[in-house]
Amino acid sequence: MIEKTRFIPDGKSERKLDPIVEYKEPKYLYFPTVDLKCPTGETCVIDGQYVKVGELIGTRHGAFFDQPIHSTVSGKVLGIEKKLHGSGDVVDCLIIENDFKYELHPDCEPRTDEEIDELTKEDFIKIIEDSGLAGLGGSGFPTHVKFKTDNPIKYIVANGVECEPYIISDYQIMMSKPERIIQGLVYSMKAMDAPHGLIAVKKKYPELKKSFEDALANMDCQMDIKVVQTNNHYPAGWEIDTIKSATGIKVPVGKLTSEYGVLVANVTTLYGIYRAVKRRMPITERFFSVCGEGIKEPKSFNVRIGTPVRDLIEKCGGYVDDKPKVLVCGGPMMGTNLQSDDFIVSKTTTSLIVFNEQEWIEEACIHCASCVYSCPVDIKPVQIMDAYKVRDKEALEKLDVNRCIECGLCSYTCPSNIHLTEIMRQAKRFLKR
Amino acid sequence: MQTYVKQTSPYIRKDTSVKRMMVDVLIALIPLVIFAVYRFQFDAVWRLLLAVVAMVLAECLTIMIRHKPHPRVEGFGARFMDRFSKLSWLNVITPSISAIIFVMMIPSKLPLYVVFVSAGLGLFLAKMVFGGLGANVFNPAAVAFIIALISFASGFSYTGIDSIAGATPLTAIGESLNNIPNLLKSYSLFDLFMGDIPGGMGEVSALLILLGGAYLFIRKAADYRITLSMLLVFSLLMVVAAVAVKGDVLNIVLYQLLTGGLLFGAIYMVTDPVTAPITKPGRWLYGLILGVLVVLIRLFGSHVEGMAFAILISNMFVPLIDYYKWSNPKYTWKMWLGYGLVLVLMCVVVFIGLGGL
Repeated sequence: MIEKTRFIPDGKSERKLDPIVEYKEPKYLYFPTVDLKCPTGETCVIDGQYVKVGELIGTRHGAFFDQPIHSTVSGKVLGIEKKLHGSGDVVDCLIIENDFKYELHPDCEPRTDEEIDELTKEDFIKIIEDSGLAGLGGSGFPTHVKFKTDNPIKYIVANGVECEPYIISDYQIMMSKPERIIQGLVYSMKAMDAPHGLIAVKKKYPELKKSFEDALANMDCQMDIKVVQTNNHYPAGWEIDTIKSATGIKVPVGKLTSEYGVLVANVTTLYGIYRAVKRRMPITERFFSVCGEGIKEPKSFNVRIGTPVRDLIEKCGGYVDDKPKVLVCGGPMMGTNLQSDDFIVSKTTTSLIVFNEQEWIEEACIHCASCVYSCPVDIKPVQIMDAYKVRDKEALEKLDVNRCIECGLCSYTCPSNIHLTEIMRQAKRFLKR
Repeated sequence: MQTYVKQTSPYIRKDTSVKRMMVDVLIALIPLVIFAVYRFQFDAVWRLLLAVVAMVLAECLTIMIRHKPHPRVEGFGARFMDRFSKLSWLNVITPSISAIIFVMMIPSKLPLYVVFVSAGLGLFLAKMVFGGLGANVFNPAAVAFIIALISFASGFSYTGIDSIAGATPLTAIGESLNNIPNLLKSYSLFDLFMGDIPGGMGEVSALLILLGGAYLFIRKAADYRITLSMLLVFSLLMVVAAVAVKGDVLNIVLYQLLTGGLLFGAIYMVTDPVTAPITKPGRWLYGLILGVLVVLIRLFGSHVEGMAFAILISNMFVPLIDYYKWSNPKYTWKMWLGYGLVLVLMCVVVFIGLGGL
């Protein structure tokens, strides 16, 4: 059909009522020493060393930042093993054996409100940097880099839109801990000297708005914080789209949002900011859902970071049958494909979706232009495909393929089932060569 | 042992397909087919069947000949089956659409061999030579119609339900638009709307065409922008023409809109996505070119119907509109300025051309 595809069935209405299964006692926990944005890393503990909750156990080195790794349990360091990471790569993981005592590291002393009031912007950024916080909606972009800006900030937007289907990780945290998210927002507003705070949630879920508004009323908060409702379309949770619907400011693709006086942080990230500032603790737990047609009983978990996903699959009763499965870490539109279920819950993983294998037969392109109509960044996927087929670098550059955010809408909407998103990725790689 | 498959995101797809889109076009054509069969009985049935067979054959044979079976596949039967496996339902549905559109445009007494030859040749030359579905530059049905029109001109004498042998109403207005009120004495606007006039087999009933068009646009199997743009430009230029000759504006414009297969072309032919530009502004411009060309051919050309020619000439503009260096998926004021300037210029040309000064 020749139309702009804006809505995709999101499967959240069934998932959001699932009770949360608490699963916090895995025997062994795994901590990747490298990840997608940090290609190298090191540990600062030795085998057999006893570590406590919140203790620094290593550092990942990225291109322009370092990211500390914290333990989320107390116990003994056992060594290093190769495990799959949410990004799809096999990486070295530090193993910690859980002693089920959960002793807190002495550094994790809660800050008093007076202490927090005295924090300057530099202190604040340092705290976030030390807590190793990164975009917890799935992007993994280090938060302190985002906050380290000299531009005056007018708005801080808490992004609770979560437009990917199936994922309910953010939804759960917004329902269960709205006060903490608002606290995190207040801390960042104070630190950045931003007058306005906005919490963006989908129109489709009025209960989220209510949850935040109730929390705001209870907290008697002095700051100017509003809950705004965004549209239900995909990708409404894309930073630039969220800013547009929350503040009305149009940020061009490829520009930093801070240049326009706006900072966006995922709600889970703000929760992490609250933990780091108030309780001097890194994120140790997160909501993680295992769902999809290939799993016996889809469930939502609250788990410790470092938990092996195999344990969770077992809790869900395993796969429905022996047929080949497609494992997706993240959402079905932009998630990463995994070649094995031997991976671990990290800070940035939100869900595991198990699909049965499905084959789409590609047909000839009939130039219906549904991909052009649907593209949120206004590029022309069909022409990029034609240019990539003849390896025309000049045309690919002119067609601005690097603007593509790989949201997956072009593949999703194509009536000929052409995998345009993959072609966009290949075209980008081809341009880099 | 559980196995895992490698795929890349996105992992879900919309419930839509090319086949579904094409079947929608077929459904939209059904009222016209019924109308044609009702009006011309077996004259229409045979021509429909012949054209469908000719076009499907041309498409399927080309695809089967084009495919080279692997040398290891031996024996005529096996090689034939290997070639046959390259066919899909789309290779039947899409040529059938072209065939039906083609038959709806031709007169009911066009000799059968003419129908067969021009249908097969039209599809082969316009579509298969360029590489089949999705690769054609020209509308196959329009090419087939032009082949029949130019090569077998003597066959184009229309017969209506009231057996008035003779030209379609449009041929009579070559002289002057002012003659239209006189013409309307023999064919009322209501007759034109219902299709009770001589003309192509299916393209005369405006009512049924609009019905099919509504289905197409509601199902989104066609883009309304081209049709809308074309009809708006056409009507505006015809108003200017009517003013230029100091005629009855309303009657002239309605008459022009309802005759000569204009609506049929505007709804079923120009909306073919394969031969249309891919951006929204591009589709508006495409409609502009179409509208201007139809008016120019009707008023100043020798082929008074002009629709098929206008479509083919506009098809040639599509790669130009779509050229990657300037085609833009967003509307810009520059585009609308160009659109407006061309429109104003054409209004002036029509006005002066018809001696309005």
